Amino acid sequence: MINKIKELKITWGSAIRVIVGSVVAVYLIWRVVIITFGSGEFGPDTWVRFLITGLVIGGIYALIAIGYTLVYGILFMINFAHGEVMMLGTFAGYFVLEALSAMPAPGTDANINFLNAQPVLSILLTFLAGAGVSALAGYLLEKIAYRPLRKAPRLIPLISAIGASIFLQNAAQLLFGPQRRQYINPDLLWRGQGWMIPVSGKSVMLTYTGGFSFVLSILLMIGLFILVRKTKLGKSMRAVAENKQAAALMGIDVDSVISKTFIISGILAGSAGVMWGIHNGLFNHYVGFLPGIKAFTAAVMGGIGNIPGAMIGGMLLGLMESLGPALLGLDFQLKDVIAFAILIFVLIIRPSGILGEALTEEKV
Amino acid sequence: MKQNKIKQGVITGLTFGLIFIFLILTGFTQVGSDMIGNLLGNFEKAGAENALPVINLILFTGLIGLLMGLSTSKANLSNTWLASLLNSILAGLIAGLLVGAVILVTGSFHSQGVDFRNYLPKLGSEQMNYLLHYTTPLAAGTTYLITSTVASLIGGAIGKAFRQQSWTAHSMTWTKNTVKNIGKKLKLGQSPQRKIITILGLIVAGGLLYLLPLVWGSYWNYTMGTVAIYILLGIGLNIIVGFSGQLVLGYVAFFATGAYTFALLTAPQPHAILMNVWLAVGISVIVSTLTGLLLGLPILNLRGDYLAIVTLGFGEIVRILIRSDLLTFLTNGPKGVTNVVQPSWLGKVFSDVNYTHFLFLLVLIALFIAKRLKDSRTGRSWIAIREDQTVAQATGINTFKSKLLALALGAALAGLAGALFASRNQFTGPEDFTLMVSVNVLCIVIVGGMGSLPGIVVGAMVLKGLPEILRELDDYRLLVFGALLIAMMIIRPQGLWPAKKVSLELQRKDSLGDNIQEVEP
Amino acid sequence: MKPPAIQTKNVTKRFGGLTAVDAVNLVVPESSISSIIGPNGAGKTTLFNCVSGFYTPEEGEILFFGEPIQGLPTHRICKMGIARTYQNIRLFKEMTAVENILVGQHCSMTNNWADAIFHDRRFRREEENALNTACELLDFIGLSGLGDSLALNLPYGAQRRLEIARALASHPSLLLLDEPTAGMNPQETEEMKALIKNLRDQLKITILLIEHDMRVVMDISDKITVLDYGVKIAEGIPSEIQNNDKVIEAYLGPGTAKMTEKLKQKNNNYA
Repeated sequence: MINKIKELKITWGSAIRVIVGSVVAVYLIWRVVIITFGSGEFGPDTWVRFLITGLVIGGIYALIAIGYTLVYGILFMINFAHGEVMMLGTFAGYFVLEALSAMPAPGTDANINFLNAQPVLSILLTFLAGAGVSALAGYLLEKIAYRPLRKAPRLIPLISAIGASIFLQNAAQLLFGPQRRQYINPDLLWRGQGWMIPVSGKSVMLTYTGGFSFVLSILLMIGLFILVRKTKLGKSMRAVAENKQAAALMGIDVDSVISKTFIISGILAGSAGVMWGIHNGLFNHYVGFLPGIKAFTAAVMGGIGNIPGAMIGGMLLGLMESLGPALLGLDFQLKDVIAFAILIFVLIIRPSGILGEALTEEKV
Repeated sequence: MKQNKIKQGVITGLTFGLIFIFLILTGFTQVGSDMIGNLLGNFEKAGAENALPVINLILFTGLIGLLMGLSTSKANLSNTWLASLLNSILAGLIAGLLVGAVILVTGSFHSQGVDFRNYLPKLGSEQMNYLLHYTTPLAAGTTYLITSTVASLIGGAIGKAFRQQSWTAHSMTWTKNTVKNIGKKLKLGQSPQRKIITILGLIVAGGLLYLLPLVWGSYWNYTMGTVAIYILLGIGLNIIVGFSGQLVLGYVAFFATGAYTFALLTAPQPHAILMNVWLAVGISVIVSTLTGLLLGLPILNLRGDYLAIVTLGFGEIVRILIRSDLLTFLTNGPKGVTNVVQPSWLGKVFSDVNYTHFLFLLVLIALFIAKRLKDSRTGRSWIAIREDQTVAQATGINTFKSKLLALALGAALAGLAGALFASRNQFTGPEDFTLMVSVNVLCIVIVGGMGSLPGIVVGAMVLKGLPEILRELDDYRLLVFGALLIAMMIIRPQGLWPAKKVSLELQRKDSLGDNIQEVEP
Repeated sequence: MKPPAIQTKNVTKRFGGLTAVDAVNLVVPESSISSIIGPNGAGKTTLFNCVSGFYTPEEGEILFFGEPIQGLPTHRICKMGIARTYQNIRLFKEMTAVENILVGQHCSMTNNWADAIFHDRRFRREEENALNTACELLDFIGLSGLGDSLALNLPYGAQRRLEIARALASHPSLLLLDEPTAGMNPQETEEMKALIKNLRDQLKITILLIEHDMRVVMDISDKITVLDYGVKIAEGIPSEIQNNDKVIEAYLGPGTAKMTEKLKQKNNNYA
């Protein structure tokens, strides 16, 4: 009996966390109630719209976040250039779509371009190009900028990653110019069109691109999950994350596993990049920067090194970003502030993330 | 065996070929050729079609080939002359073929009237003509191939010759030993002599720092002023990152706090407080120190890379908030604050010469303070934390307090630098405080050498001074910067001028008048 | 009566489902050399970490000269007079030997950053004293002349001794040594043994050590505690431990005690 009471020992830290956490939660619930029923500023339909926006963008964040988490789990480094890897995927997808839209479709009349004659194939090609270029970029990045630094103190590869990020961003600007570009989607996925969902008398649009992105991101995540849990590669990835030396002694080629990890992260980031382009349309060479940082936020929020954590973290971050400004009564231009504030908040309240870290670092 | 012998050449050729294509696509071939033209003095456009001298481009190609040849010879120290030259030729051929092929393809499209500019803006019609040497694609491609091969061969031969000669190796070791001996003599020589040399050096340096701003004109004053401000920032961040090992990526937040505090206190718009300049500088420093403390309290116990990302987020938050509608009433939003007051002394506003002197003085003071901090109980506790935080704490250091102090001092210096920055530009706006500022300062600290004070001066000169001088390269500055950071981490992670250890035991013996004995570890 | 240097009362430390240290009662008398031994994974280092403040035990009390110290941050514990070394040497690698010892004196110094900037008389005197102490300590551990080389450039044995010097610099009344002779050759081991004895005899420091080398343990310990699977299985003076059946079984496996008994008898018979 006495032991049980002792186990419930309350420390100052945990008490503060619980108090702050509950105050925030109560405040947010109160805000929803006030906004919806009190001031009537936002009706239920608006909330649904925010929800949809948040889930779509959250799916994209989740895909990028998985890349951070995979690499962090294995190398204990923040792959700061991961956002740039995504940016390269966006560019690759753009060029493929441009080429396909300029190409006449074989066998049909000349007025219809290849893009609209074969929309499914075109989209597939676009994603293949985006994922392929990003995978290649990730692979080269690791080989050139990180591999020689495997044994260096932890700050060193991080700085190298910052260097790589600056390099890639500026290389893209110099190669392709600083102007904003717009994705050409096939008519099937035209931006601004979608299914209408009736919500409390009004209709909310779920855009085709949004629905498509969300479903695709979920599918990719499931695929990754199967890869990590069920395949031999996944097993060796987990082994390397656990203990590189032991894994090497068991006959696992650590270098190749790390390379493959970067390739997988690249594929996910490239797909996210193409989704970003298809869904949002406009992009330039800065496209990877903010999503990159936010995805890292998401990864940390879910518990770094933890793949389901990254997925949940990404979704949550997307939701908070779209719902946050309305909930807190702030301007929408402050949505980035909200994302960063959440990051700081999460790290202070619960540094190991929502699902807990899956790291195997010695603490003492 | 044979495969291994030619592997080096193939790899070098591929690498250099790809780099050259990258240079073509980013338009650097044009800039590089122009620079060669500048050197040779044949930059003038000539001829009916307004053509640039093709020779510069060919020389540029040759230069790359030369480098390629040199690097093939480097890798094959033990190879015979024949194998070495074969490698160079091979590398030259491969690179030349790659580049030639690209030129051939793009050139053919270009001559059919295809415009690349929409996708590759550096391949406009004029640039394409120049890349094609104003001839046909085939001829131009062949020229690249030949130039590359020949230049690579020459480079390989030169490299091999240099490495073959034992005198080069000898002279290298000789120079190294001499430098070492001189160093030893200076170090171990009698103290009075050393003191005199030090004092003389200080007098000369001080004189130069005083005289140069008087003579070198306002452009240099501006440039060196910028360098000085970045040295101040570097010293501050060095306390945080270099000494105590806490990676803070949002250092710009403190810089911005200082600049905005100063600007808002002195500018007529938007608040018209019009405070005394020196008082405002003091308040700016205090405000940014407080910001540092407030930020540090909750986050300083985070693990290294979490700290990095949290501070990065904080830096961005500050910038977004400054320009947001929410705070426009306070900060004037995206427009920034104009007419920030310049400092004055006895009623006289600082001229740019005064200002440069003033900045130099501050840099010297800051260096002095940082040096003294480093060689004290405080500084040692920081470095111990950097080396092993857990053990540092178990050795009796209150790590949290110590890190907080480092952050506060760093923030104070950033605040000072910010106030000076705003007053010198007479303007401050949110876009002065992007993430790139933090990254720049971090690079200064790292390129110079983590924890090394002279390193910061060198780093700021190299990273902030050189780009100001090489204005043509402005577009490529950040690109080079990124590549430089990676290369630096791989080749020389300790920095250009690494921190040096003070020989405390030796010093004590000196002061006690013991016999000096050198013990080789 | 004066309380013992260290007294643990039912100290328990768990990691998830694993109980690394299970209700251990330990008494280390003042001015003694006490050892903790036990097979790998017996919880020796965990117990050390509890005493030096790296871990907070879930249950139990740790008394240092009668004062409870469990849960205090490590720098406070260091200031109270407990210093330690580490199983895998953890020096400040990029600092010189002298600087390592100077950091060790952190607690006993008082100058702050403002003093450092202005170099006042107090600062100068304190720093000079600290440097003198550091050089004396270097002498004591036999490293004088190597004081200005970086810690990472020192030979292995010297690093171990430097770690002890750094611990001594905080003027501890209790010194925890985690495998001080690990990886040393016989000569270095002998030197280390002499050094540890010196610490107790000359500086009157209480010593608690973990050691695998039984020759060292049996030679220098006044008292030995044996842990196995986190539980204390034996305690006593060296000769008692040598003949304790439980200890033999813990090291060599169940049933071995009987076997050794038989072997001994056999040997006696032959003799």
